[in-house]
Amino acid sequence: MSSIKEKFNQISPSEFFYSNRDLAGFSNPTRSLYTAVREFVENALDACDQMGILPEVQLTIKAVDPDKPDPKPYILTVKDNGPGIDAKHIPLAFGTVLYGSKFGLKQARGMFGLGATMAILYGQITTNKPVIVKSSNDAKIQNQFEILLDIQKNKPIIQKHTTKDVSKKGLSVSICLEGDYSKAGNKIRDYVYETSLITPYATITFDDPKGQKFHHPRFVKEIPPPPTIIRPHPHGIDVERIRRMIVESQFEIPTIDDAMIEKVRKDLGLSKQNLSFSAIMTKAKKKWKNLPRQVRVVIALMSFLKMDFEKLNKIRIEDIDVPNKKLYYWDFGESLSKTVEMDPESQYYKQLTNTVQGEPLTTFLTKRFQRVGPTTAVKFAEFAGFKPEKRMGTLTNEELVNLSDSLQKFEDFMAPDSSCLAPLGEEPLEKGIKKFFNPDFTAVVQRPPSAYSGFPFIVEMGIAYGGDIKSGGPHVYRYANRIPLLYDEGSDVVIKVVNDTDWGRYKVKGDPPFIIVSHICSTRIPYKTAGKENVADRQEIERELRLALQFLSRKLAAFMSKRGQAEMAKKRANLYAKYIPMIAEFCTELAGKKKEPNYKKILDDLEPVDIKQTESEPVEEEKPIENQ
Amino acid sequence: MKTNKNTAKEISKKAKEKQQTILDSLKNHGAKIYEDLENGQFPKFSIPSRSVSNIVYDKKLRQYILGNSTALRSAKNSAQLRSFTQLMWLAFFANRLTQEKKSSTLRDVYYSSQAFAIEFEDQSESDNIIVDLEAVTSRPREDFHIFPEERSSIFGDLNIEYTIPGYEGKTMNLSNHPDGYSIGPSLTTAELVDTSAEIVIAIEKGGLFTRFVEEQVDKKFKSIIINTGGQAPRSTRTLLKRLHDEMGLPVIILTDGDVYGEHIAMVIKSGSANAAHLRELTVPDAKWVGVWATDIEKYKLPTIPMTESDIKRCYDLQKDPRYESGIWKKELEVFLRLKRKAELEAFAKYGLTNITDKYLPQKLELAKSL
Repeated sequence: MSSIKEKFNQISPSEFFYSNRDLAGFSNPTRSLYTAVREFVENALDACDQMGILPEVQLTIKAVDPDKPDPKPYILTVKDNGPGIDAKHIPLAFGTVLYGSKFGLKQARGMFGLGATMAILYGQITTNKPVIVKSSNDAKIQNQFEILLDIQKNKPIIQKHTTKDVSKKGLSVSICLEGDYSKAGNKIRDYVYETSLITPYATITFDDPKGQKFHHPRFVKEIPPPPTIIRPHPHGIDVERIRRMIVESQFEIPTIDDAMIEKVRKDLGLSKQNLSFSAIMTKAKKKWKNLPRQVRVVIALMSFLKMDFEKLNKIRIEDIDVPNKKLYYWDFGESLSKTVEMDPESQYYKQLTNTVQGEPLTTFLTKRFQRVGPTTAVKFAEFAGFKPEKRMGTLTNEELVNLSDSLQKFEDFMAPDSSCLAPLGEEPLEKGIKKFFNPDFTAVVQRPPSAYSGFPFIVEMGIAYGGDIKSGGPHVYRYANRIPLLYDEGSDVVIKVVNDTDWGRYKVKGDPPFIIVSHICSTRIPYKTAGKENVADRQEIERELRLALQFLSRKLAAFMSKRGQAEMAKKRANLYAKYIPMIAEFCTELAGKKKEPNYKKILDDLEPVDIKQTESEPVEEEKPIENQ
Repeated sequence: MKTNKNTAKEISKKAKEKQQTILDSLKNHGAKIYEDLENGQFPKFSIPSRSVSNIVYDKKLRQYILGNSTALRSAKNSAQLRSFTQLMWLAFFANRLTQEKKSSTLRDVYYSSQAFAIEFEDQSESDNIIVDLEAVTSRPREDFHIFPEERSSIFGDLNIEYTIPGYEGKTMNLSNHPDGYSIGPSLTTAELVDTSAEIVIAIEKGGLFTRFVEEQVDKKFKSIIINTGGQAPRSTRTLLKRLHDEMGLPVIILTDGDVYGEHIAMVIKSGSANAAHLRELTVPDAKWVGVWATDIEKYKLPTIPMTESDIKRCYDLQKDPRYESGIWKKELEVFLRLKRKAELEAFAKYGLTNITDKYLPQKLELAKSL
């Protein structure tokens, strides 16, 4: 048994991903090239977004040997103007799996930067070439690394490290990987194109292996407001997460050894001074606010022991019995176990209680979750059958499960905070659609924030008709957290909602030239698969999508009926132009006249026809269509 | 010998007057539309509505006529623009035909339209526009020299004088050719001069028509025999009317012993709902003498059962006010009771000449009392 356990322990994350790389989208040279592009471009955009920098991303794919048939090695380089990475973090960031900077709870394209390391790993195992990272985070010095990944040890091997002077910040990552551009090219071009639609504030260029250059300049000068990092919502939590949060909130009783005493002295500014017990306490009170937690615990203990540093050196804490307010310690000098009573009224008692038993439930809830106030916390405690002052550290496993369940079920929590979301906004979305498709009609909508299972989300949607749009619509452009979703369209919730729509109702018939752009923003997109290409049909999300689509469809219907009228008028005008001259010809002979009547006036009086959407005339709102 | 009540001169004058009336009418309509266009207005005109709700039975005239409701046809209405133009063209074309005294057929009109870039989906569309022109002018299409394809025929001692170009003044006796004479534009427009006949026998079928000629029914019963070829064409009905009105001849009708035969007789007598916009096509005094439903029993004729559609037709006709009384009502009821029908040929069971030897004399006798 023990040997099996040992083997399990020996598998490093790198090895795990190495053997499960298809899970992360590296199943074959076509898909891998596409996924690698995605990961690096999204990292670059995320880095810029976080720092409020207007992104300039340059993607280059070059064949190592252009004459070889696909699949073959390619050099993939993504360069950005982001903040760069501190040189000392680079080897770990690019040379280990599971190292990343995106740990907070907020909307971002990727999570934990895992994908990029996977791409590097894939490149290394297919070509045995190192990743080349060039980074400057101060616009002065650029650090250049060549790093290989030790898969077994999950450690970076720095092959080369040089520096040079530069004048701009930014990061450039370059890997060599086995890919198939002849097959992946379409998707990659689509990806770049669609990304530039949902990231209108970014300039993205793509130099493809065939020497073609795709340049998508930014057409919006403002970055949408960045998301803020927030605490989790009680609905979006599970037992494991609570357990970790409790651990975070608890501290072990510090071992009071020489080093610890030295630290306490230093933090109190008493390294050289030997003060009496009461003087130490006075000093501690003054500095309390700036003391680290461990130090506070030691001071609290000292307050009950009534000892100075010298005495403290000669004892060892054995146990802190909080319920009975007793403190047990071993006195080395006397070789005796001793007990001190703790005064429950003392502020230090509270300090110790927190440390040993964790925070009370209500504090835990209000401090560590979003949108939970003291009143709600107390109400919840009642609902879940806990005392409000129940210490988190004293929860049994069963109680923990009960707590987790109750957190899900309790309905009086306020809806999740959506400030962690970064939708694109109606205006930039509309601008993008107009620029990309030059349509006759455009409408966009941003739904109010909603939530599923405690994860906030926002649906943004746009619809456009006519212009440069190809017929055969609706063509659906799916986005999640500003990432275009290109694969596995069939099982996506957006497609489901679109397909459920009876377009005839909205006067859209035949082979219509129209598009739908759908953007779901969430702290957690419920992807159906690890490949992150299709969104599962969560009821709440489906509902929001439906409402958004209905709203837009009604606007489209109003436009279509206007357009229909305009087209009719145009047809009519053509009919008049065709038939009136004939009538004139025949009646001239009938009436026995020589000269035809002057019918031009009738034709000239016909109103000119325009079938474009007019800005001045907002489409009128129709009554909402009831759900069937 | 009966002569036309009107003199030849009068007839000719009347014909010319009629033609001039039609030409004037067409010109007036054209001029009005010309004027509208010249004034920068969409041309329009009104046309008697031919919808079912506007077809009423006139007891005085003893035929269906159009009521008072009219429809406005305007070139401004894009849905009507196409048919408006078609009608304009037809008026233009009819004007040429009438002025140049040329004849055309329904089919010929349909094909002629193509030369003027006028589109008709099919002949029934152009036929319909022709009916529109009839309704606007209240004149039958024959007056604009447009005739149907199907021809019925005539045989008997009747002298006529042609009026069509190239034959003016030529005369003809309609008993000279045993196959009979086809009733076409030249015959319809000919002057009826004189006849020794005392009655007109209209018969539904070509086969019996030939038999009647062979059996010299014309001589034996001093009659003019007309084959209607099923439902009588307008030109034939016009001729029947003229023979009755101008020559003072009574008209009797012999049809198959079924509901369709009964209605063929009724249309000759009082017109069809389809032509409610036209008058002067009816012979209100014409008499249907057989084959009646009651004859089937009386003469023990071989019969065949009525079909579903025969029976339905009976019920339909029962709603027609003209079938509310007299033999029309009675015979329909008998047909419905028997649920069987007999053809004119059924008399052959008792010998090929039985119909002319026995049945016809009895019916002619009976007709006097009808």
